[in-house]
Amino acid sequence: MNTAFINNKPYTFNTGESILAFVRRIEGEKSIPTLCDAPNLEAFGSCRVCSVEVAFEKDGKTKTVASCHTPVTTNLHIYHNTNSILELRKNIIELVLTDYPTDLINNKTKEKNELQQVVEAVGIKKIRYPKGANHFRIESDESHPYMRSDFSKCINCFRCIRACDEVQGEMVLSMAGRGFEAHVVKGFNQSFMDSDCVSCGACAQACPTGAISDVFESKNLENAKITRTICTYCGVGCNLEVATLNGKIKSIQAPYNAEVNQGHTCLKGRYAFKFYDHPDRLKTPLIKKDGIFKEVSWNEAYDFISSRLEKIKSENGADAIAGISSARTPNEENYLMQKFMRAVIGTNNIDCCARVCHSPTALGMQKTFGTGAATNSISELEFTDCIFVVGANPTNAHPVTGAKIKQKLMKGTVGIVVDPRKTQLAKYATYHLQLKPGTNVALLNMMLYFIITENMEDKEFIAKYCEGFEEMKNEILRLDISQLEKITGVDKNLVKQAAIAYAKANAAMEFHGLGVTEHYQGTYTVQLLADLAMITGNVGKKGAGVNPLRGQNNVQGAADMGAQPHQGAGYLDVTDASINKKYNQFYGVEVPSNIGYKIPEMFDAAIDGKLKALWVIGEDVVQTDPNTQKVMKALKNLDLLVVSELFMTETAKLATVILPASSFLEKEGTFTNGERRIQRVQKVVEPLENTKPDGQIIVEMMRKMGYNQCDYTAENMLKEISQIVPFFAGVKWDELGINGKQWPVKADGSDTEILHKDGFVRGKGKFYYCEYEESNEVKTNSKDYPYIITTNRELEHYNCGAMTRRTGNVEIVTEDFLLINPTDAEKNYIHDGDLVCVESPRGKVDIKAKITDEVKQGILSSTFHFPEIMLNNITSNEHDSEAMCPEYKVVSCRIRKSRGKNLVV
Amino acid sequence: MSKNLSELSGRKGIDDNLFERIGNSAQSTGSPSQEELSKIADEFLVGNANTFGTSSFYDFTKSENKGKKIYVCNGSACLCAGTQKNVSDILENHFKSEEIGHMTCLGRCYENSAFHYNGKNYSGRDIDNFSVNTPPKSFSKYVGNIDSNSFLTTPFEGFSEFSALIKKTLSRSPEDLLDEIKKSQIRGRGGAGFPMGLKWESCKNETSSQKFIICNADEGDPGAFSDRFLLEERPYSVLFGMIVAGYITGANRGILYIRAEYPEAVEIVQQAIDSIVKSAILTNTNGFNFVFKIIKAKGAYICGEETALINSIEGQRPEVRTRPPFPTQMGLFNKPTVVNNVETLASVHGIIKKGAEFFSKLGTPKSKGTKLVCLDSFFNNPGLYEVEMGSQLSDLVFKLGGGFKTPIKAMQIGGPLGGIVPVSMINELTIDFESFASHGFLLGHASIVCIPESFPMINYLEHLMEFAAYESCGKCFPCRLGTKRGHELLHSAIHENNKIEHSLFQDLLNTLQQASLCAHGGGIPLPIKNAMYYFENELNAYFKK
Ligand SMILES: Cc1cc2nc3c(=O)[nH]c(=O)nc-3n(C[C@H](O)[C@H](O)[C@H](O)COP(=O)(O)O)c2cc1C
Ligand code: SF4
Ligand code: SF4
Ligand code: SF4
Ligand code: FES
Repeated sequence: MNTAFINNKPYTFNTGESILAFVRRIEGEKSIPTLCDAPNLEAFGSCRVCSVEVAFEKDGKTKTVASCHTPVTTNLHIYHNTNSILELRKNIIELVLTDYPTDLINNKTKEKNELQQVVEAVGIKKIRYPKGANHFRIESDESHPYMRSDFSKCINCFRCIRACDEVQGEMVLSMAGRGFEAHVVKGFNQSFMDSDCVSCGACAQACPTGAISDVFESKNLENAKITRTICTYCGVGCNLEVATLNGKIKSIQAPYNAEVNQGHTCLKGRYAFKFYDHPDRLKTPLIKKDGIFKEVSWNEAYDFISSRLEKIKSENGADAIAGISSARTPNEENYLMQKFMRAVIGTNNIDCCARVCHSPTALGMQKTFGTGAATNSISELEFTDCIFVVGANPTNAHPVTGAKIKQKLMKGTVGIVVDPRKTQLAKYATYHLQLKPGTNVALLNMMLYFIITENMEDKEFIAKYCEGFEEMKNEILRLDISQLEKITGVDKNLVKQAAIAYAKANAAMEFHGLGVTEHYQGTYTVQLLADLAMITGNVGKKGAGVNPLRGQNNVQGAADMGAQPHQGAGYLDVTDASINKKYNQFYGVEVPSNIGYKIPEMFDAAIDGKLKALWVIGEDVVQTDPNTQKVMKALKNLDLLVVSELFMTETAKLATVILPASSFLEKEGTFTNGERRIQRVQKVVEPLENTKPDGQIIVEMMRKMGYNQCDYTAENMLKEISQIVPFFAGVKWDELGINGKQWPVKADGSDTEILHKDGFVRGKGKFYYCEYEESNEVKTNSKDYPYIITTNRELEHYNCGAMTRRTGNVEIVTEDFLLINPTDAEKNYIHDGDLVCVESPRGKVDIKAKITDEVKQGILSSTFHFPEIMLNNITSNEHDSEAMCPEYKVVSCRIRKSRGKNLVV
Repeated sequence: MSKNLSELSGRKGIDDNLFERIGNSAQSTGSPSQEELSKIADEFLVGNANTFGTSSFYDFTKSENKGKKIYVCNGSACLCAGTQKNVSDILENHFKSEEIGHMTCLGRCYENSAFHYNGKNYSGRDIDNFSVNTPPKSFSKYVGNIDSNSFLTTPFEGFSEFSALIKKTLSRSPEDLLDEIKKSQIRGRGGAGFPMGLKWESCKNETSSQKFIICNADEGDPGAFSDRFLLEERPYSVLFGMIVAGYITGANRGILYIRAEYPEAVEIVQQAIDSIVKSAILTNTNGFNFVFKIIKAKGAYICGEETALINSIEGQRPEVRTRPPFPTQMGLFNKPTVVNNVETLASVHGIIKKGAEFFSKLGTPKSKGTKLVCLDSFFNNPGLYEVEMGSQLSDLVFKLGGGFKTPIKAMQIGGPLGGIVPVSMINELTIDFESFASHGFLLGHASIVCIPESFPMINYLEHLMEFAAYESCGKCFPCRLGTKRGHELLHSAIHENNKIEHSLFQDLLNTLQQASLCAHGGGIPLPIKNAMYYFENELNAYFKK
């Protein structure tokens, strides 16, 4: 029986529970003080403040043990507040204070750190030791835009070191020296800026004294109001606790009780918030007259837009108008935007930036499984024994999930990474299949081939839940593996080993990113990922599944809400008359039944003169969509371009009307993260004066144009959405709680962790055979443009960088770089830091070279966070054959050392 | 104790070893360069801070070690013998003072004047003939009388006896052998006295494709040289014990972690390993393979503590781990691991050869077998002795040791964490775990360092606290801070005439004893409390109530 005694009273303990957890659970958090323990770290046993006495029988001979790392055992008698223990704690803290620079006993500075609280809790009166050696004179480190250290305050609890190791997995910190001389170092005893620190802030959040902290002094929360909300920077959906003082944001921390991020975030979530009151924020509506923006009132702007829209609609028809909604904004606003286009304007010309990232995922997974969403949850990493990452670099683009995956790989879980670049995860993985960009389909076919020829299919699963297997198998068996080996550039034996490892795992989890979707064969690749999951029975169970790593924070939600031209809210087919009847009834107007334009089609239509008006919300299509010159030409050809924005982006510059919108910190609603988790975004501060949340803007425009839409509140909107989107049936603002709910949410409010648990949503899971085809881009251009450049993301920046470039992040990563293999660099006389001219059939750009073996010969890689470079000048018109997602990942080009200035870094 | 670092280091296995790589990169200059540390970090996928943090821990890799050419022993025995000033004086004629470093105990406590030069140890009269180019050969005989009844010190009669016994042993079942070990009731000789059979059984019960046997040859206790004797003079006995441990528990790798201060031991054991490899007696005998590897330590007393030792081999900083999990569950590279002392392992062949019963008949009800004891140069017959557990301490001191050369007031028995036994107690004690414990002392590894009448006890205590502070791993608060403050208090009492507040000192000792994570901080109060009890009068002058 699990019975143990606290001060002679019996209680039931949980198997494996530490004495500390046990006593605190029963007697409260404050019953035992600690210094080295932290909620998200393993027990470490350095401070010994948690000491308690234990005996094996009532009033038996006692022994002192540290409660944090001693498990409770049956019949153990625990005495946690005997006099001798209370004295012991005092004595330990007295020793600690002999090497602490400020007087915490008669605390005059009112320092309220955790050490101070422990000092008060143990009730120590005086330090009896004479002055001795100390660490007071260590200099503080102010090298970094965010991170700070003042190690004179360090008490050597190791929390920071463990956070950097156990949570972030970066190992920037360690102790150096031994005994009393032991002290925390960054790298080779460097500054934060010179070390490999990725500024996640886990150490600062962990530190009990502020010896490591940040410029925002995040742990000093005196008088601060705390608001819990969701990060806007990626599909992980980290929970944030934002501290405000007098209506201004002071700092951000990550709550430990967040299921998504357990006290962790990356530097974007934690530190990159200063854009919100940046002087560059747009603060008033603007209308361009004679090429110059004039400030106008909101009403003038609304009048102007509505009269222009009415005019275009009457002269050219509703389909001459289009909208691009934003996957950055909440579900409620996306819902409204598509409703505006469909019900008020009367067109299905609505799309969102999911088009340029995960549209192939939605399509591919709908075709194979019946639902375009992650099948499983990130927390199931705990249960997986094989992690298969394809075309994703989560340590940069989805840092908190990336850190979790890295932890698993470091601890020996089998990892398979398919990526042309040697990403961080590739370094830790068991197998890195470093393929040529654009050959995903060929590679995944090789894997299917080996699983079949090795007879490792999950026959039972296939028979019970799937269809189309034999057809696919026959095609696969016809493949010439040696030829595929040549195409992909990956040793077939390595692929075979990886395939076997994947098939052998009890539960294998797939993750994919834009390296899958942003290709000519993006949708096919997704279908093959689905094939691989099905052939090994890795769907519908814990620790398995196909899990797209969604780019923007609400890509999932934007699609769920119907911000796409072929499906309305809830993925309902716009061409289906019976479905449209439902919409007509619900919206009270007739909705159109012809499929609208996808984003690239909008640009073509604009150039052709068929599209006259476009409303873009929060998306810098000029900087981030491919083939910049073409995009600009399209936008310039419009009669009306409305842009809702925070900043004067490259797209906003071309607008007819600019509407100053509010940021996520100034509005409420819900974001749906990559694991279908609908979480509450709460208003942290009031909107900057004269800016408005997009939801309110759309509602006001709807009313202006004669549609009676209720006021924008998250609660109102969810009420409406839950009636039309089937998988939102039970979503209520009040019931989402701190950790949200994963859709489908049934009417009774219960949610869903794993999809396709008892068979596929589609009925049967469908196997597809997809044949590899070389991208047109390479087929047409490889002769004159022999290099392939593939685009990627840096951890520090977000997409067009409009936000992150207006934060301290820009001091960490100051520009876009061109990654180039040492041999290629040598061949072209390029040195580190040289400007390289990269030229494609579309245009050319100059980028600074960074020589690295992260990329193979013939392959280049760069980001497009900075408008100074405008990398998308060279990207192409090619796109996924099915979903029209642009092919950012394969761009033929040639290089030479630039004749521009030679900037040596 | 980073699980990640254990795993990452473990990816390369024991053959391409992180710790060894860091150590090797220090060899040319005494401390590795940043470039080297960074390259190693990249290769092992760990942080620069990790390789840097590790190299900064050890006496012989930290940056202060750069340029050191010769090392003078500063262990307790050499200190009490008062020989080291002379050694340093002579060496200063040959070296700049910054070229002279320290090593703590070279295992030459029976004749002192010890120093280490160019990978070799010297002691006794060697210093008199010192020359930089042709250092004298060190002659050093240190084995006292080993009586005919000896067990542990009986050598194999040639390699053939060894290989025959191996063959015979490996033809028995692991279960049968484990039973034999358990029946012998042998307890660990490394200090804690843990039953060897239980340890092996616990490791045997773990399922894992990889397990390790580690021989703890980091004999760091100043005054002890019994492990050195066994490694240098009875290497086959030690290796035999490891083989049997591997066979019983299902481990196929044996690692000897030998301290840097014993260069000769490394050579000799390596030769023994080579002959075993050459003979192929361990290749696939009944499906059993066993491969040895020596890891050379780099100078840190705490590496004798088994979890610090494991961290050390992994190339992590040798900070003590929390338990559970115990090494037998999750040890080297997070795999089940047995750590045994040299002497414990060296006892195995006797148990196997003569039978558990023979062994368990020797000694007392709870302490079985024989024990090696080291006598320092204050004895008329210094050196190493094997005695039956339970023997009279007085017999050892007076009969075997021949009494003291000069007046002695106390002996520290069992290393720096062992008790300080006043001469008045000699007749009260027998050599076994229980007798020492019940009188408030500690048998430990049973080395004896004499404290002469003329040596002020307060200075000895200062030396102990200084040692404890210098060798603290720095992980837990009581020891990292407490040993330092303790040393400061004692230092200031001696040199600045500042009396120590008695209650504060008691609180400090109790805090160390009760709250330290390991027996380093936890053990240092014992000798100090002994001294304060038995030498109250002498020490009173330094304390105030
Ligand atoms: C500070 C400290 C130093 C130690 N030094 C040694 C040592 O030098 N050699 C040794 O065998 N054990 C040493 N130990 C004990 C080991 O932790 C461990 O108990 C021992 O190696 C187990 O082997 P055994 O069971 O054969 O005794 C030390 C322990 C502590 C706390
Ligand atoms: S901020 Fe993150 S990466 Fe940097 S040292 Fe702290 S924990 Fe490590
Ligand atoms: S910097 Fe902070 S967290 Fe790190 S060891 Fe020092 S006190 Fe602990
Ligand atoms: S007692 Fe000393 S040596 Fe042992 S863990 Fe604590 S600091 Fe390290
Ligand atoms: S909380 Fe247990 S030792 Fe610090």
